[in-house]
Amino acid sequence: MTGYIIRRCVAAVIIAIGVAAVSYALLNFAGGSPVYAALGTHANPKAVAQWNRVHGFDKPLIVQIGNYVWNAVQLKFGYSYKQGQSVAALLDENAGRTAYLSGSALVLALIIALPLGIAQAVKRNSVSDYAATAITFTLYSMPAFFLGLILIQFFALDLHIFPPLVSSNVTSVWASFTHPAQLTLPIVTLAALTVAGFSRYMRSSALDALAQDYIRLARAKGLSERVVLARHLVRNACLPMITLVGLAIPGLLAGNIITETLYNYPGLGLLFYNALQGLDYPVLLAYTLIGGVLTVTGNLVADIAVAAADPRIRLG
Amino acid sequence: MSAPPATSVLEVNGLSTHINLTRSVVHAVGDVSFEIKAGETLGLVGESGCGKSMTGLSLLNLLPHGGHIVEGSIKLSGLELVGLPERKLRTIRGNEIAMIFQDSQSSLNPTMTIGRQVMEPVRLHRGVSKHEALDRALEVLELVGLPHPRERFDDFPHQLSGGLRQRVMIAIALACEPKVLVADEPTTALDVTIQAQILALLDDLEERLGMSTLLITHDMGVVAGRTDRINVMYAGRIVETATTYRLFTGMRHPYTQALLGSIPSLDQDREKALYTIPGLPPDLAPPPSGCRFAARCAYATDECREHEPPLDGAEGHLFACWHPVDGPIERLPTIVPPESVKVPIAATANGRHLLELDGVVREFPVTAGIILRRKVDSVKAVSGVTLHVDAGETFGLVGESGCGKTTLGKLIVGAELPDGGTVELEGKRVFALKGRALRRARRDLQMMFQDPYASLDPRMRVQAILREPLEIQKIGSRQEQDERITTVLREVGLPQTALERYPHEFSGGQRQRVGLARALMLDPKVIVADEPVSALDVSIRSQILNLMRRLQLERGTASVVISHDLAVVKYLSDRIGVMYLGKLVELGNGDDIYRRAAHPYTDALIKTIPVPDPAVKRADIAISGELPSPRNPPSGCRFRTRCPRAQDLCAEEEPLLRSFGPGHVAACHFPLQAPGEAAAEAVADGDPE
Amino acid sequence: MEGVPPFGSPNIPTTAPEGGEVALITSGWRLAAHEFFSNRLAVVGLGIIVFFIVFCFLGPIVYPTNQTLTQPLLSDMAPAAAHLLGTDDNGFDEFGRIMVGGQTALEIGFFAAFMATVIGTLYGALAGLVGGIVDAVLMRFVDILLSIPLLFIVLILATRYHATLISQSLIIGLFSWQAPSRLVRGEVLTLRVRDFVTAARIMGGTRRRLILRHLIPNALSVVIVNITFLIADSILLIAYLGFLGFGLAYPTASWGDMLGNAQDAVSSGYWWLVYPVGACLVLVVMACNLVGDALRDAFDVRLRKR
Repeated sequence: MTGYIIRRCVAAVIIAIGVAAVSYALLNFAGGSPVYAALGTHANPKAVAQWNRVHGFDKPLIVQIGNYVWNAVQLKFGYSYKQGQSVAALLDENAGRTAYLSGSALVLALIIALPLGIAQAVKRNSVSDYAATAITFTLYSMPAFFLGLILIQFFALDLHIFPPLVSSNVTSVWASFTHPAQLTLPIVTLAALTVAGFSRYMRSSALDALAQDYIRLARAKGLSERVVLARHLVRNACLPMITLVGLAIPGLLAGNIITETLYNYPGLGLLFYNALQGLDYPVLLAYTLIGGVLTVTGNLVADIAVAAADPRIRLG
Repeated sequence: MSAPPATSVLEVNGLSTHINLTRSVVHAVGDVSFEIKAGETLGLVGESGCGKSMTGLSLLNLLPHGGHIVEGSIKLSGLELVGLPERKLRTIRGNEIAMIFQDSQSSLNPTMTIGRQVMEPVRLHRGVSKHEALDRALEVLELVGLPHPRERFDDFPHQLSGGLRQRVMIAIALACEPKVLVADEPTTALDVTIQAQILALLDDLEERLGMSTLLITHDMGVVAGRTDRINVMYAGRIVETATTYRLFTGMRHPYTQALLGSIPSLDQDREKALYTIPGLPPDLAPPPSGCRFAARCAYATDECREHEPPLDGAEGHLFACWHPVDGPIERLPTIVPPESVKVPIAATANGRHLLELDGVVREFPVTAGIILRRKVDSVKAVSGVTLHVDAGETFGLVGESGCGKTTLGKLIVGAELPDGGTVELEGKRVFALKGRALRRARRDLQMMFQDPYASLDPRMRVQAILREPLEIQKIGSRQEQDERITTVLREVGLPQTALERYPHEFSGGQRQRVGLARALMLDPKVIVADEPVSALDVSIRSQILNLMRRLQLERGTASVVISHDLAVVKYLSDRIGVMYLGKLVELGNGDDIYRRAAHPYTDALIKTIPVPDPAVKRADIAISGELPSPRNPPSGCRFRTRCPRAQDLCAEEEPLLRSFGPGHVAACHFPLQAPGEAAAEAVADGDPE
Repeated sequence: MEGVPPFGSPNIPTTAPEGGEVALITSGWRLAAHEFFSNRLAVVGLGIIVFFIVFCFLGPIVYPTNQTLTQPLLSDMAPAAAHLLGTDDNGFDEFGRIMVGGQTALEIGFFAAFMATVIGTLYGALAGLVGGIVDAVLMRFVDILLSIPLLFIVLILATRYHATLISQSLIIGLFSWQAPSRLVRGEVLTLRVRDFVTAARIMGGTRRRLILRHLIPNALSVVIVNITFLIADSILLIAYLGFLGFGLAYPTASWGDMLGNAQDAVSSGYWWLVYPVGACLVLVVMACNLVGDALRDAFDVRLRKR
């Protein structure tokens, strides 16, 4: 078990470094150095070369990547010339709100998807199973913003229950938390898309577990259906879900960009969107790297969690 | 067998169970009636798909999705179970009627400790405290022979061996002292030596607890010695029921007769063919009209095909047949190969054997490490095996799973390469060759696989499958290839229409024929057949065995037959090698092994095989414990940890193969036979001549 | 069953085949097709895809509209007889624009999926076949790419490239082959040790033959199933690009681009600019997913059937 965890951690670090390298190369390819943002689009070539030399952008790509990774480890992500702030400060300012949005959406999605998937598997091929499948399948095939638009039209413009955009007064995590109505639509939008994938997977995972002989043996013991499900099915069916939650992180990050842009909620997603519009490369690079590292960490945590929850791996 | 008790505990009457599939309804169980008296053991025997498991599951209404009881009655001590509300039924499940299943690996919850799984029914049905339930669980675990139950209580199923897991499952079933135990193929997934232990345990427990048992199995050997009555099922119907002795000695249904006749026994005459049942069991969605066995029955008439015979008879012996037979079949005609074709078994001209293995070793590395995976240990699959096969000879290799016999087979055909020792064909180390020469040499060594579903490419038609070896070896023009394919296909008993079909369209037995045909295409000098019939149903097995036997005699191809089933090996082979944990422990002809076994392991193997004859009194468990890990095999004699005769010497010194007669050698310090004349000198190459 | 002798005596080869007749007459593909078509949802899905292909590519012939010249006078008109689904900001007929936008969406989806499949299959097959350190390095690279959300990569590259049908397809195709490569590698690894491959090896089959005759044909079904999911994902992805303003250059548009101003349209009450095109998008993506699921089940059935 310890060996397994160490092995996974080492692999995760290697992948994280790879993520940094690939992101840097990608950004370098797309935009090169942020020199034009710093000196203006029409800066003279001499000044540009000078600036590049001072900031290390004339070095070979591999050295630049090394420097960037080294700085990133110390949480130095460079300077956003567009916004006149250090990237780290920008990230720090927005991270909490995004974490709140994504975290709530993820928790909500799990609360809905796990019981739903199990219920669908237990009542498989019933009318309610088909209905749930139809809904989740539609959600699964829907772009996040389109779902968001429908929600805005219905709940905000027609029924006036929730605001169509998050109010600009909501500036802190605490404000997000104390104004639930403001955040309802963004959270629901993000959660709905996550539910779609989760519940489909949970259903098939529960179906697999239901077909196992140990469920039959549990019934043969005389246990009631409820106990059979609670004690023998749920844990075994949820084990593969742990991995899926880890894998859901890239989707959530992408979802953040869409949701925050759509509802104008100031988080990392909106920051990224604005950076795209303004070609603010240091910000783009930093968030891509952080997204990658989050994904790697999520997968690592999921792997360890599975190992801890599954005696077959734990006791190996 | 105890004295006949009076009251019946379980009475089943006219039970019919259907299973609804998407597009059809399978009539899995049709009009089944039987009763089990207190303390009695009833056998329910039949091939896979005959409805025997569904009958067992119907008793507790544990049928799979879509399955339901259509009609009939199930009475437990007078209480009607059919139509009983689920809530009431639950108080009976695991309490009055308990079940054990075939696969203990998947039947135990992998994420719950075995202790808790045993406690569960006790807590539920006895309503006792956690502490009392724990005590009871320890008690039953002790009862079923789990060593050190207190220490193993918190183990998870995967930490236990297959035999121990099966004991845990039995403990779960017995925890509440049920009146009736339904055992559905309780030992099918286990090795023979473990099977014997588990069956002995069940016998003992039934005796001690006075349970009634319904023993469901496909294996006539398993029911022979331990049931009072036997019901034979075929295609959803009980076709014959009688006391065990009566059924084996005076059966009236042709199916029972054929089933028993088709099993090779250990004293089977190798010159006689096995009885076969042609064709396949019918599809039960919906079942055919008339007698369901008519299509495969040698005695069937139009009457049989039109009218279904009732289950009728007297004195407790009932059978459903219009033209009943009378007792077991006479032994079958000899397979007479034309003398001209029969190839004499002989060493080749230059005095070498056809195939020689000398000190062959194969070890699979076990790796560990954080980044660079380094070898930390190895699984010693084959540890220095020396043997030879002569032209025209069939060599049988027998042993429990994990003994290395399959690896040895792969080493012979070059699917694995040895880490030490040599494999020589006609005196040449063929797998040391390269390129074209190697390809040419591969012609002479072909293989027939165990799993008929995995060994044929699902995307290729049979024609392409059979053409492939010729194509690879660049033999013949396309037309010549076609001719060869046609000939071989006929030889293995398949119709020409098979050529255009894909593997999934064949039954298991037919696929095995295709697999054999593919191995024959190149006219190899040696064919290795790895468990050729163990994946097949009983009634199909004898078809394939007869076919292999016939081809052996007609073609004179040397072969190596690998099986865990000594009867199969003995029927097919001229000489037999017994393997234990990577070592060859005994080698000799069929009679040497069966009648004059020198090694205690061979002896134990023979004694543990369930014999389909109720008159045979079985010995007690001949072998205790389980196969040690091949990662660290025991020092000295590898069998010593399970051997009743083991002494200190066995741990210190590895026994060498010694001669016990012409061609009969065994590796044991304290053999069961007196060594032969050549006893003093150790036989280095396993060949005493 | 006349012809079958009562006892197990060896049959004379010329009479009825001893092994019994072979019952079915369906090829593997036909069986899969049968299974597929007996799945009603799959047929509906296939129908939707066919309908949209016909609608988008042949529709403009029946219902020709101006999709290149801006006509400010006609902007934002509600549905009427002249314009079945009204007009957009630029005065383009919305119904005609859905056809044109559908063309690009489908083209990009198919092209990107095709490219990702080709790259992924080759990459995965290489990793699986070579194994060892090469496999480890190749698969770590896949892990790295999978750790960066695809939308991030595509958006970053979109800042540099002028978005055209080709560039969008290329960008998506070049960065979404990881999933198929993993699938193919997994298939190759399991197929390699299957008995039928061992059998071919024992016959003396060359590596080339094992790959071409056994591994690739058997790994194909996984790849085919995955194509449909890739198409669905690619269409969704270009919709996101369009919504975030990195869509195709004016006046070409895909469905996603048409939804770029949807937020304003919703608040202005121009429903016809949002829901019809959105519904088309969802329907096509859903149809691809349905077909993919059904194909997977169909292939499963064929391989499971024993």
